Amino acid sequence: MLRKIGVLWAAVAALGLAGCGHDSPTAAVATSNSRGSLQVDPAFRVASLNATDLTAQLNSQAVGQQLIQLAGTPACGVDVYYVKYWTVAPDNSPQLASSALMVPTGAAPQCSGPRPIVMYAHGTTSVSTYNIAAVTDSTNAAYSEALTIATVFAAQGYIVVAPNYLGYDISTLGYHPFVNGDNSATVMMDALTASRTALLSTFTPATTDDGKLYVTGYSEGGYVAMATVKAMQAASDVVTASAPSSGPYALEAFGDAIFFGQVDIGSTLFGPLVSTSYQHAYSNVYAQPSDLYSATYASGIDTLLPNAMSLTALFQSGKLPQSAFFDSTTPTSATGNTAVDTAADQLLALPSSPPYSASQAALFASGFGNPYLISDAYRVGYVDDAVVNQDQAEMTLINGGTLDSSNVALAATPALGLRQDLKLNDMRNGGWAPQTPMLLCGGDQDPTVFFSNTQIMAAEWAPYVQGGLVSVLDLNATPSGPFAALQGGFQATYAQLVTANGPTAIASYHGTEQPFCMVAARGFFAQVP
Amino acid sequence: MQKKIVTLAVSAALALAASGAYAADAGPNDVRVGAYFVHFDAQAGDISGPYTPPGLNVHVDSIVTLYLAYVRSFSEHFQAEFAVGYPPLTKTEGRGPATLGSVPYNGQVISTARWLSPTLLLEYVFGSASSRLRPYVGVGVNYTKFFARQSTAAGNAASGGPTSISLPASVGPAATVGLSYEITDRWHVYASYSVAQVNTKLKANTAGIVRTSEVHFWPNAVVLSAGYSF
Repeated sequence: MLRKIGVLWAAVAALGLAGCGHDSPTAAVATSNSRGSLQVDPAFRVASLNATDLTAQLNSQAVGQQLIQLAGTPACGVDVYYVKYWTVAPDNSPQLASSALMVPTGAAPQCSGPRPIVMYAHGTTSVSTYNIAAVTDSTNAAYSEALTIATVFAAQGYIVVAPNYLGYDISTLGYHPFVNGDNSATVMMDALTASRTALLSTFTPATTDDGKLYVTGYSEGGYVAMATVKAMQAASDVVTASAPSSGPYALEAFGDAIFFGQVDIGSTLFGPLVSTSYQHAYSNVYAQPSDLYSATYASGIDTLLPNAMSLTALFQSGKLPQSAFFDSTTPTSATGNTAVDTAADQLLALPSSPPYSASQAALFASGFGNPYLISDAYRVGYVDDAVVNQDQAEMTLINGGTLDSSNVALAATPALGLRQDLKLNDMRNGGWAPQTPMLLCGGDQDPTVFFSNTQIMAAEWAPYVQGGLVSVLDLNATPSGPFAALQGGFQATYAQLVTANGPTAIASYHGTEQPFCMVAARGFFAQVP
Repeated sequence: MQKKIVTLAVSAALALAASGAYAADAGPNDVRVGAYFVHFDAQAGDISGPYTPPGLNVHVDSIVTLYLAYVRSFSEHFQAEFAVGYPPLTKTEGRGPATLGSVPYNGQVISTARWLSPTLLLEYVFGSASSRLRPYVGVGVNYTKFFARQSTAAGNAASGGPTSISLPASVGPAATVGLSYEITDRWHVYASYSVAQVNTKLKANTAGIVRTSEVHFWPNAVVLSAGYSF
C-alpha cells in the first residue's frame, strides 16, 4: 500500500513539475552608471496615443484646440517613454536623471522608419516633481509643455528627446544647476545617448534615428539648447540645425540689466536658482546666504528650490517674495570713488520714464518693494562692479546705443563672484559661433527673458547673421518673411490676452511665445534637411 | 499565523489517524481522479501605482483542470482529504477603460499564471459505512503557490513594457460539501462543491514602475471525480 501511495505522490509531483514555467522578466537594470548609460532597458512607456486619440485629447480643451490650429492636426501617434539615465553633476558625481523620449507612430510615411531627432530643453520651473514625460498627467506641472512638444514635433514625425534637468523628478541632487552651460549641455548630451539606446528597444523598433539632430528649447531651455550646440560642436557631434528660443544667453548683460533696476518678471525665482547653482559649482557667490539675501528670506533659501510646493504656495508661505526683488528704498554706493559712486547711484535709482517707456517703468517698478529678496549691500556691490568692469553690451543698451559686433564684449575682469560666474556661462564666452543653421526666436517685448539676450547674440554673431547661418525671428515685429503667419498669429493672440486681462496680460507674454517659437523651429528644421 | 493554521490542521489529522483507523471493507485509502471546475469570484482593489489611471481592475477567468486527491478514512464518519489540481493556466483580463491611451485594456488577457493549490480537509461523512449514498462536509486549509507568472504581450503593452509579476503564496481556510456514491466496494463516484480563501498581493514591475493590487480570488470549485479504495 505504501508503494501505491508513493506512486500517487510521484504523480502529483510530476504534475507540479509539468506545470512549472518561468516568470516573465521586467526590464534589465544597468550595472554601469557611466555617462549616458540607460539605467533601465527597455525604457518604460508612459503612454501610447494614436493620432486620432491624441487629436481627441487636444480637442477636449481650449488650449489644445489652439495648439492644433497652430501646429496642425497630428499626423502621427505618439509613444512617450520615460528614460532613466546616468549623467553627472557639476562636481562630476554620477547622477540618475530622467528624460522623455517621444516616438512617432502610425501608418503615415513620416511616422515610422528612419526619423530625425529633436532635442528639446524645457523652461524654468520651481516644481521639483516636474516631469516632461507626464504627457497624460494633467496634474503634473510639465503637462502643458509636454503636450505642446508632443503635438508640435512628435505628432509630425520627429523623435523627441526632452530631459528633466538635474534637481527635478527622480534626480536627488538637491538643487538645480540652473544656467550652468557646461552641465546643462552634459545632461542634454547624456539624455540623447541614453535615448538613442532606448530607441532600439521600443514597441516600434522600426522607427529609428536617421542621424539628423535638431536642438531647440525655450526660456531656460533656449539657453540650454544653445549651450548644447556649443558643447556638441566642441565634441564634433552632429547638430543639423538648432533653434534656441527666448533664452537668457547673454547672462552677464542680463544680470547687469536686472541689478540696474530692469527687474524682469520671475526674478524672485530666477535669482535664487542662479545663486544656488553657482554657489554649488564655484563656491564664490557668498560666504553665507545672508550676504546676498535680505534677512527676511536668507534662512533656508539655499535649499528652497526646486520645491514640491507650487510657486504660488511658496509665495503664500512667505518663503519668497512674489515680485519684490530689490528694496524700494534706494541704497547708495559708497566706494569712496566719486565717479563710481555717481554712476552707480544713477543705476541704483528706481527706474522711471524716461529713459524707459511708461509700461517698462511700471514693469520694472513691480520688482521693488519691502520686504525684498536681495540685500541692499549686495545690490550696491554688484552695481559698483558693473560700473567698474563693464559689460559692453548692457552699457551700450542702457546708454541708448545700437548693438553691433564692436560693442557687445563681456566685462574683461569682473571682480564680484556672481558676475564672474555669469560671464563664464554667458554664451558670448568662448569665442564660438554656430557652424550649422540656427534660428533665434523670441519677442521684443518679453518681460521675463529680455529680447536683448537675442539681440546681443545676433550682434556678437553679426557676420553669421549677415551670412544667413544665424536667423533672428522677432514674433512682435511687423509680419514678413517665412514666419509672417506666426508673427501675425502671436500678435493676435497676445492682443486677445490684453483685451481680456488688461495690463496684467504682460505676465503671459513669455509663455504665449513658446508654442509659436516651437512651430517656427519646426518650420526652420524642415528647411535644413 | 499561516504556519500555525497548517500545523493545527496537520496535527488534527494525525491525531485522528492515531486514534484508531477505521478499516472499511475495501481499506481506508481512497484515491480520486476527476475534474475541477473552478470559478473565481475574484475581488481586486483597483490597480495603483505611478502612471496608473484610476479605475483599472482585473477579472480572473474560470478554469477546468485535473483533480487528484488522496483520502484517508479514520473512522466510519471521519476522513481527511488531500486534494490537488493540475496547476491550471489561469488568465487575468483587464477590467476598466476600453483603452489606456490607445492601447486596448478592457477584456484583454493581460497576464497568466499557474498555481499549485493543495488543500487539506477534515471531513465528516454522514450515513453508515454500508450506505451507497453518503453526503459529507469538510473544513481545512488551502495553500496556494503561484508560478509561471507571465505578463502577456497585451499586458506588456498596457503596462508600458516587459513586466514581472509577483503573487506571494496564500494560506487560507477551505470548506467543502460533497456526495459520494458507491458503485462497487472499491469504486465510488463523487460530486462536491468547495470554496477557499486565496488572498494575495499582486505586484507588477515594469521597468521599475511598480503597481499593486490586493486580490481576493475566492475560488469555488465543483468537482466531479471517481475514486478507488484500497
